[in-house]
Amino acid sequence: MSSSATRLCFLILKERYGEVVASVACCLAKKNYCPLRMLSQDSGLKLDQVKKALCTLIQHNLVTFQQNKKGFIEYVIHAEKVLQQTRFPRYIYCAKTLYGDPAELIIEELLQHGQMTLEKVVQRTIDRLTEAMEGKQNVSSTLVKEKFVNLVQTHFVQRCTSPDGNVENKEVASMPVLSVSPEELYVVPKMELDGFESRKRKRSGEGSEAASKRIKTDESESSESSIFWRVNVSRFHQYLRDQAIVQAVASKIDKNAAEVVRAMLRLSEVKTDEGALVASAMTVTEVFQNLPREFGISKQTIEQYMKLLSEDSSEFVSKVSDSGGGMYVINFKKLITVLCRAHIESAVQERFGSKCFRIFRLLLMKKNLEQKQIEEYAMIPSKEAKELLYRMFEEKFVSLTEVPKTPDHAPSRTFYLFSVNINQVSRMLLERCYQACGNLIIRREHETKENRRLLDKQQRVDAITASMEQSGADPSQKEEIEQMITPPEKAQLTKIKHMTNKIEHSELQLDDTIFILQTYLQYAHMK
Amino acid sequence: MAESANAPVKQEPVDAVNLESRILELCMEFPKGLTDAIIQNSMPQFDAQQRVTAINRLLSTGQVDLLKSSTGLVYKLKDSAAVSKVKGSDHQERLVYQIIEAAENKGIWIRDIRFKSNLLLTQVNKILKNLESKKLIKAVKSVAASKKKVYMLYNLEPDRTVTGGAWYSDQDFESEFVEVLNQQCFKFLEQKAALARDSKADPMAQKNAAYTSSSDVWKYISELGISKVQLSIADIETILDTLIYDGKVERTVVAAAAGGDADAGQLKLYRAISPLIQPTGLMKTPCGVCPVIKDCYEGGAVSPSTCIYMKEWLDY
Ligand code: SF4
Repeated sequence: MSSSATRLCFLILKERYGEVVASVACCLAKKNYCPLRMLSQDSGLKLDQVKKALCTLIQHNLVTFQQNKKGFIEYVIHAEKVLQQTRFPRYIYCAKTLYGDPAELIIEELLQHGQMTLEKVVQRTIDRLTEAMEGKQNVSSTLVKEKFVNLVQTHFVQRCTSPDGNVENKEVASMPVLSVSPEELYVVPKMELDGFESRKRKRSGEGSEAASKRIKTDESESSESSIFWRVNVSRFHQYLRDQAIVQAVASKIDKNAAEVVRAMLRLSEVKTDEGALVASAMTVTEVFQNLPREFGISKQTIEQYMKLLSEDSSEFVSKVSDSGGGMYVINFKKLITVLCRAHIESAVQERFGSKCFRIFRLLLMKKNLEQKQIEEYAMIPSKEAKELLYRMFEEKFVSLTEVPKTPDHAPSRTFYLFSVNINQVSRMLLERCYQACGNLIIRREHETKENRRLLDKQQRVDAITASMEQSGADPSQKEEIEQMITPPEKAQLTKIKHMTNKIEHSELQLDDTIFILQTYLQYAHMK
Repeated sequence: MAESANAPVKQEPVDAVNLESRILELCMEFPKGLTDAIIQNSMPQFDAQQRVTAINRLLSTGQVDLLKSSTGLVYKLKDSAAVSKVKGSDHQERLVYQIIEAAENKGIWIRDIRFKSNLLLTQVNKILKNLESKKLIKAVKSVAASKKKVYMLYNLEPDRTVTGGAWYSDQDFESEFVEVLNQQCFKFLEQKAALARDSKADPMAQKNAAYTSSSDVWKYISELGISKVQLSIADIETILDTLIYDGKVERTVVAAAAGGDADAGQLKLYRAISPLIQPTGLMKTPCGVCPVIKDCYEGGAVSPSTCIYMKEWLDY
């Protein structure tokens, strides 16, 4: 892993789980596979601390373990999952747009805790929903459960691996074997739902004082309660990818075309295997049937849009056969490549200006060019073109190949060909994104640290006023407390708020770029 | 533009040389003085204009004199010695002249003239100077190499490879001119695309309505009158190509209708397109466009917590 990625991992983990967890994770990241003792040595931390840190990391699905040939237990960290933690707000937002507020909270809870039982998730979600509505309305657990089942059925939430009960001679195995059968991955056992109901009933009867007892009875009652759930990030990624495609279509063609593509993608969710790089073929009729009526797009118009989409230079859809009025597919790999290119080009445009943008795109179109040809095609005077090219070369956006005409490699008898290697540029840019993201986090921490005292004060004042409100204190008293924060302090607080918001917003925007680059690189390795 | 002027121009210098040498010969035949009427009679194929040019050239190079006599104005050889000298170098001059002529409007470099003529550099220089002063040939600076001069016949329009075409004036590339054209072409195409969008037609019809042929763009630009030089359709297509590289325009090629103005039965159509994405997220952060990102780390000379770019951005 590159240094900027490691640094970002450290910063993310430190912010969320503290310094100890972060340093253990970084030690682990440097090692690949590493047993507990070595980890403690390397990090200079006590065994106990390391254990705790590992627990946290395992709980959040960031670390897994395995037994090596010599019988040691080795831990391995999944750095890409750590980096994905900055994407949490986007997952939560997805859930909200798809299934509404309860789903949003379910996902938020799951992300915050890493792994949770159904019961816990539902309970916390209900609590929070009730709180949000200030108790005005009763939140039915059936609704929340329904949403949960929805999320599982659509694969946004999946079962965690659990110790295999069938492992023979448990005493010998020094490590629990974690597994989950593929058939069970996305199934909520009926018992789980019902069991939850019955437990709940029991609880309401017993009263809350018997909490500890309840857990005990649960365990003896059914083995299902040991089922933990977690967020399936790759499903969210698939959704984010589809969103990116729809947005691109809307921008390049129009809203209706975007709706057509959206319908196609919805269809492909059902028809296509997860992780496939090309969606299964679909007919115009299918797309038509899948399009919500309210768009009022006739079948004929859809046919036209299909033609537009397939004729577009970005080739959003491709026609694979003429049967049934035309069969169409969406080639994800190709589209992500197109999008990745667009992001890289945009980076060139913003960083080097429109002349460089022209040269860069020219190189992408024509592959290998000599400087002279670049000048001619791009119509940029020789001196300027040279400068621009070398600036991009210096920052590794373009590469240079020497093709000697004679074996002596004499410069005067050598072709110097400029070209762009998208894969290489994506990697380089991704590095830069990680660095930028790290910088944003550091700056955010810095701003809060600088204003620690003020922020603490505000927190205290808020807490006091909140408790006063509850006890129904005099409004004038409340005001008095509130005035403990002076107007300049208030102004400063608004400023800090503004800054942190801006930085956080920026982090999310940055993740847009990161997501496309990562997906492109991931797909590039898949055949 | 060059082609249309070529036909009459090509013949002329040869005749001009003939005319001049014929006049000199006539002068020798009529040592008492040669009248315009005699020239006219003996060489009826030349018109008055050509005669005047030839005579003027002879006068300016000091080969003949203009004298008044009883019969009116007459021409006389100025100095027989000088004439014979010209005569002596005449065939060398002719050789050089022919070499230059063969190079047509691409011109020829002095070194190549030397190789081809097998003359000494000093001789060649002298002859070239001579021919230049007679306005038979001219030197043109080439855009390919700023110090390189090429020679060609006086009346030829230099080839684009020498002048660089419409985009060069005095072998300087006119990048501003190119940029203005680039913007104007785009404006034109974009207006068309906007009209097509507003037409509320079928999606396919909208797309087709946005397409414009290169000759239409050419017409529009010519009518704008922003160009001092006459541009060809090919010139405009070069400009339109830059718009393609700019990611603002797409091109498609269709078979032209019979009698269309495109060559080889192909019609190049262009249309303005919208970008695929908004500026990418990385570039919306200060670090994305930061010039010193390489040297930026905690505890370094530039660091995220002390960075002024961040500060400006956050204060904004
Ligand atoms: S923190 Fe400041 S100096 Fe560092 S990379 Fe970002 S903008 Fe540049």
